Amino acid sequence: MIEFKKVSKSYDSQTNVIDQLDLKINKGELVVLIGESGSGKTTTMKMINRLHEPTSGTILIDGKNIMEINPIELRRNIGYVIQKVGLFPHMTIGENIELIPTLKKWDKAKKRKRTEELLDLVGLNPQQYIDRYPNELSGGQQQRIGVARALAVDPEVILMDEPFSALDPITREQLQEELLKLQDELHKTIVFVTHDMDEALKLGDKIAVMKDGKIIQYDTPENILKNPINDFVEYFVGKDRLWKSPEMVYARDIMKKQPATISLERTPAKALEIMKEKQTDYLLVVDVPGDRPKKVQGIITPKELKNKTTSDIKMKDILNKSYHVVAEKTNMVQVLNIMKENKLKNLPVVDEDGYLKGLITQTTILNLFADAISDYEEA
Amino acid sequence: MNQARPGFIEFFMGRLDQVLSLTIQHLQLTGLAVLCAILVGLPLGILIARNKRLANPVLGIANIFQTLPSLALFGLIIPVMGIGEVPAIFVLFLYALLPIIKNTYTGIINVDSSLIEAGKGMGMTKGQILRRVQIPLAVSVIMAGIRIATVINIGTATIASLIGAGGLGDLIFRGISSGSNNMILAGAIPAALLAIIVDWILGGVEYLVTPKGLK
Repeated sequence: MIEFKKVSKSYDSQTNVIDQLDLKINKGELVVLIGESGSGKTTTMKMINRLHEPTSGTILIDGKNIMEINPIELRRNIGYVIQKVGLFPHMTIGENIELIPTLKKWDKAKKRKRTEELLDLVGLNPQQYIDRYPNELSGGQQQRIGVARALAVDPEVILMDEPFSALDPITREQLQEELLKLQDELHKTIVFVTHDMDEALKLGDKIAVMKDGKIIQYDTPENILKNPINDFVEYFVGKDRLWKSPEMVYARDIMKKQPATISLERTPAKALEIMKEKQTDYLLVVDVPGDRPKKVQGIITPKELKNKTTSDIKMKDILNKSYHVVAEKTNMVQVLNIMKENKLKNLPVVDEDGYLKGLITQTTILNLFADAISDYEEA
Repeated sequence: MNQARPGFIEFFMGRLDQVLSLTIQHLQLTGLAVLCAILVGLPLGILIARNKRLANPVLGIANIFQTLPSLALFGLIIPVMGIGEVPAIFVLFLYALLPIIKNTYTGIINVDSSLIEAGKGMGMTKGQILRRVQIPLAVSVIMAGIRIATVINIGTATIASLIGAGGLGDLIFRGISSGSNNMILAGAIPAALLAIIVDWILGGVEYLVTPKGLK
């Protein structure tokens, strides 16, 4: 765990580049520091391996004050990946990856084995690449080596300073995906600096939005998107961001919260009345009337009601039991896919215990798009 | 000149021993001077690359020696060191300093700063960065400095004959004073060839020491 306690950094003892910063990064989390240039995100990151040193306050790694650790020793146990990659052009790929192990005096066989392992891990064939030179590789391949080099001595903490921002969009996306896969496997504590909100939302377990040396909001990507703490974060996230990240929009965000329902004991006449009143042709048959938590038992549409208008017929006799439901946290992409595949116009949303929470209809989806488009035009 | 030409080969062959020994002497003068310049200039170049405040004064002083006309510098040294090989080597040494210091300095400070940052961030010490990154990457530029210094010195060393240091300049100046074109050419041609051949050889060395990943 990395902990910043009231950390300030000043170059001229007047203005604080970093101002009384508190930040806790849990073990195994990927935390993204994001902000405009001059926000202090890079300085914050570089204080972790003492490339910059705080003017006041303390930084702890696993409870240990880093100012009490020899900086060389500290850095050798923290992986470091930079935007310009920084592979040494006069060393082979193997030599680059093995540099810190060499300085740590690992024996040759152990180094070689580790390097081959790492090349496999970043998706490059060891036999093919180990003896080549950096300038024979593409930008994306070079940064894979950069990541492999940072992992060489299996550090607990890895710092990444805009590692993908110099790559073309396709390669960038590939490397982001691979980083996520890698992180699933390795669970490192990663501090990742970027100015790209898409990247932050995609990679971060948590995002710290920074401005003027302070953290404005430190939260999960979902909360940053949905509950920006102030106008700055909202502006920074971008109004149309939700629209660009449909996987961040969940069923519970788009559902109508009070769908038309009818209880099991009601008659077809009542059903028609409700349909007319609520202007719908889709009723959810539920187990209990009123405002109590209800479970869906089936659905009623005009098809089920056809020729069954006598008052001795109850909903429980004619309800249609073949219907789909989705959980609250199903994302919009999945919702749309389910609706499309099953040709559904309506999709009930239930919580973990099966209680009805709402209903997604074609109208709710249409409204969402309409909102997004008007936001987009404003922005 | 017209009459001198047909007899040149015979003249030259007749004095082959003398030409060879003067050539060797010439090479010794140059070689010793450059060697001393490397021993002083290389560490000095590294030093000023690491303490940039020192760069301007050191390069400024080295530049003065380079700027002075060589004949004037030889003249200035006589009252201090007298004549002969030692003062000649000293002057040639001063001449060779600037290209070596300057190229060492430039080669090191021009190493891509992101490499230094990467090295530092990974936990390399300043010395390790110097030895494993900066010098290997600067070595071809440093070698180019040595090559320039050597070639300049082969030329300047012909003038060293004036203060009694010997070398191929002996033949040239003796030829001038006795009006013998053959004698002048017997000194000038080997001196010119020497410069070209040494330049060519050191060019090869420069290529050889360039790290493989940079070729």
